[in-house]
Amino acid sequence: MLKVYGRANSINVQKVMWIIGDVDIPHTREDVGGQFGKTKEDWYVKMNPNSVVPTIDDDGFVLWESNSIVRYLAAKHDKGGLLPTELKARADAERWMDWLLTVLGPAMRDVFWGLVRTPPEKRDMKVIEDSRTKSAAALTLLDKHLNGRDYVTGSSFTVGDIPLGVYVCRWYKLPIERPALPNVEKLLARFKQRPGFKTHVDGIPLT
Amino acid sequence: MAKLRILGRANSFNVRKVLWVCDELGIDYTREDWGRGFRPTSDAEFMRINPIGLVPAVIDDGQVLRESNTIVRYLASKHKADHLYPTDLLQRASVEQWMDWANYETSISLRGAFLGGMLNEPPWNNPWFVEQGRRQIAKEVGQLDGHLAAAGPYVTGEAFTIADIPIGLVVNRWFCLNFEKPVYPAVAAYYERLSTRPAYMRHVRNGLP
Repeated sequence: MLKVYGRANSINVQKVMWIIGDVDIPHTREDVGGQFGKTKEDWYVKMNPNSVVPTIDDDGFVLWESNSIVRYLAAKHDKGGLLPTELKARADAERWMDWLLTVLGPAMRDVFWGLVRTPPEKRDMKVIEDSRTKSAAALTLLDKHLNGRDYVTGSSFTVGDIPLGVYVCRWYKLPIERPALPNVEKLLARFKQRPGFKTHVDGIPLT
Repeated sequence: MAKLRILGRANSFNVRKVLWVCDELGIDYTREDWGRGFRPTSDAEFMRINPIGLVPAVIDDGQVLRESNTIVRYLASKHKADHLYPTDLLQRASVEQWMDWANYETSISLRGAFLGGMLNEPPWNNPWFVEQGRRQIAKEVGQLDGHLAAAGPYVTGEAFTIADIPIGLVVNRWFCLNFEKPVYPAVAAYYERLSTRPAYMRHVRNGLP
């Protein structure tokens, strides 16, 4: 059976749990990382030399990097559905997954760490504000792109929505000022209808 | 069929990944200079093609592609380069895992270590970013070193794959960084191994960071 290593409040673990929840994939999960530690222990480093979460072990096949795990699980359990098989459609979904890694994820990192995981006296407000501004700019681009689209690649939900979805959820939970982004808000409302998102993403408080 | 059209300056980290894979696969293309030092990507003409405003953008058969790793995977699939991008699900996932790693983990560190520490570009030149970036990239390249020593000679094992493309860019930049860096023998050997590929020498180890 599929085993997921990673704590439930990790944004990257949440991507994996979301697809597991939506597709209803039998699995077990073990809390690793953050307050649970274990990522530096030999058995874990042997699976994942980067000592981060999540890592999966699918009947002996070990994989890390949450976006790659999401694509792998989609290919294995829902090919043609969540993971488009046509080459150009697949590239369309993948570019939004990569956009999260290269643009939105790095942009939002410091506002989250600063406000949620750093005590007030240690916060660098300039760094936090830079990160908030960059995130707002990236999400404004996304909002424009969503004009006339229900999901990031068009009319149906795909793996392309998952990485940015967990970040959109986080953005609306942060105690910050936000520009009005009507299309992004509608997208979030659509995600909230999905079982995996409800339980494993929206249902988990920011910590 | 129209030639592949690449929009982006040839000295861009992410454009070079695309040039490298085109060279490996013998894909014919035209390239236009856009981005830092050339026509700005905020121009209406570019934004119509790629509203995200970043290079590279690639136009293939009327389809606009962006995000360099996605473009690399797309071109390898389209040209049926199964030796570079295996079709087996498990092997493919391992290739993608390393591409994602290069995309996120190292790109975050390189903002501080390279954009801030070397190019003095705000806001990354804030000492907080520079210091954090240098510490982090040294740790990440160290992890790569351990991995290559144990499971090399290439990132996913015996053979060169497209996973080595983004990592090859990271490694080249690593050797160009201007601070006192730890010595990583497996990474150094890997750098020399990649350097036996003419396409790597043309587009990556060509004097640019």
